[in-house]
Amino acid sequence: MKWLMFAWKNVMRNSRRSLTAMLITALGTAAVLGSGGFALFTYESLEEMTARDTGHVVVANARGFEGDEDVPLQHGLAGSPALAAKFAALPGVRAVAPRVQFSGLISNGDKSAVFVGSGVVPEIDFRLRGPQMNFISGQPPASNSPAPEVVIGNELARLMKAKVGSSLTLLATTTEGNLNAVDVLVSGIASVGVPEIDKRLVLADLASVQKLLLSDKVGTLSIYLKETADTEAIATRVREMQPELAVKTWRDLAVFYQAVRALYDRIFGILGVIMICIVLFAMSNTLGMAVVERTREIGTLRAIGTLPAEIVRNFVLEGMLIGGAGTVAGMLLAGVATVFLLFAGIEMPPPPGRSAGYPLLLSFSPPLYGAVTLVVIVLAACAAWLVSSRAANKPVTEALAHV
Amino acid sequence: MSAESCTVRLTGLRKNYRVGEASVEALKGVSLDVLSGEMVALTGPSGSGKSTLLNLCGLIDTPDAGSRELGGTVIDKLDEIALTRLRREKVGFIFQGFNLVPVMTVYDNVEYPLLLLGVAAAERRQLTLTALQQVGLEDYALRLPDALSGGQRQRVAIARALVKSPALVIADEPTANLDSTTARQIVDLLHELAHERNASVVVATHDERMSSHCDRVLHLIDGELQ
Ligand SMILES: Nc1ncnc2c1ncn2[C@@H]1O[C@H](COP(=O)(O)OP(=O)(O)OP(=O)(O)O)[C@@H](O)[C@H]1O
Ligand SMILES: [Mg+2]
Repeated sequence: MKWLMFAWKNVMRNSRRSLTAMLITALGTAAVLGSGGFALFTYESLEEMTARDTGHVVVANARGFEGDEDVPLQHGLAGSPALAAKFAALPGVRAVAPRVQFSGLISNGDKSAVFVGSGVVPEIDFRLRGPQMNFISGQPPASNSPAPEVVIGNELARLMKAKVGSSLTLLATTTEGNLNAVDVLVSGIASVGVPEIDKRLVLADLASVQKLLLSDKVGTLSIYLKETADTEAIATRVREMQPELAVKTWRDLAVFYQAVRALYDRIFGILGVIMICIVLFAMSNTLGMAVVERTREIGTLRAIGTLPAEIVRNFVLEGMLIGGAGTVAGMLLAGVATVFLLFAGIEMPPPPGRSAGYPLLLSFSPPLYGAVTLVVIVLAACAAWLVSSRAANKPVTEALAHV
Repeated sequence: MSAESCTVRLTGLRKNYRVGEASVEALKGVSLDVLSGEMVALTGPSGSGKSTLLNLCGLIDTPDAGSRELGGTVIDKLDEIALTRLRREKVGFIFQGFNLVPVMTVYDNVEYPLLLLGVAAAERRQLTLTALQQVGLEDYALRLPDALSGGQRQRVAIARALVKSPALVIADEPTANLDSTTARQIVDLLHELAHERNASVVVATHDERMSSHCDRVLHLIDGELQ
């Protein structure tokens, strides 16, 4: 306690210099916490976005993910209703959504365009996608209407000059390799926020798609969980239950998430390293000046029986106090920014390839705060140790003669 | 003379300083015994080696040749850590420039050596207050050294040197920065307290009044005791 008090008094000896070091540390800490919080928030948003899109765990035929089918559903899943029921019974599973991916031409009679479609069970699928699927007009397709219904992307609707209630024709290759066509009614127009996808998006009722493709198989079963954290556990469980099937998690399928994460990890990693250097530099500078100024005092304390290690310890305490005070201020700063952004409603511009921006928010992560505090205090201690150990081990007479 | 009654025994101490190419012989084989409770004045012209001898005597420097004993123990083979621990227990220092820690209060400065020794809080407090009373500064305990006069600062330094009742006190020109009246008070005080606590004192001084108070006056010229 006494030593801590002496350290504090020594820190305040040149208060302007110490406050500068604290301020630099605070800004560094706040920058790391702010950017880290932003990266975490982005990861979380993308995780949620991807998981809502693909489902947390996706099950397919052993070769279902290879994408080298000769005809649609060649590697489809047979007996999917029984499998779906089995997976749905696992604890932590919210729902299981069967899907068929298919593609072909969509036509309004005058012109046609390529579409990439999914056959889905509307009652399950549209509930799970949540805010991911933004309806511009209309509603999800009904699953048992006499005329098959589809939801199309807003860009595709523009291309086809289609509105809710318009009639279009889907043309696709069947599982037997022949062409088949079906007339559909547009029940809704929606956007997923990625123009490239919205230009080709067709979502149809699963049963109608299976009829079009002449098959009762599905492409994949998307398992949605109550907690994203359970993903690996459930994936493992499913692999054990059905070793003959291929099982992937949303993480495996989230190309965009992986790319963003790799990029951000690198950017913010470099930022972190720069911050570490700045803090280290500020700290060594401040403490180094203090050591030089106090060399004679170090000599005095050594003469009256203070061990070099004890001298160093005092400087380390001082460094930790400066670093500690700096991180506390930095955490407050980052905390204030986090809360401020929560209410400020600032929008980030759309990411590459997207049409909608997203809110600028920072995640508050106690482990991140803890880790940054620890790193800064350890850095401060190291800097103090580095700059004081030479003076502390100087011959006493030499230190005493210092002016 | 038996080793027990003798605090310091220095035999044949030599010390050379290198200054560039040249070598200065600061001490040319000095032998000296200081009895326990004895106050010895070390006089001599500037550059005669007084400080050098005091540094060796106070264990903050090492001789090039010769042997040293403190309290009957030969210390020639001790490393810096062991020497530091020995100084902590047995040696008090009083400097010409007072050398108090400016951010510590008078009380904290005096208490510091006891803190190093790990003395329990209650005893520490009592010893510190006693030492402050003995130098007449109990009312100044919470002041910072900067708020004291030179004489008062040197009294704090005396309290700091004596608070642990050391076997040996080293004082290098303790009155050189003080006016003659104050210097006189400091000499009296040092003499009195050292006697009370049975500490040996070796004091380097140019000051005739100072040396006249000492039990023994030694004269050093060109690195040799006369
Ligand atoms: N660190 C050093 N490096 C080189 N020479 C030194 C050093 N310290 C002392 N000397 C030399 O050693 C000799 C003795 O010096 P010392 O300081 O012991 O004398 P002193 O008697 O204390 O003098 P003063 O009365 O001026 O304090 C002098 O010639 C001095 O120049
Ligand atoms: Mg001298």
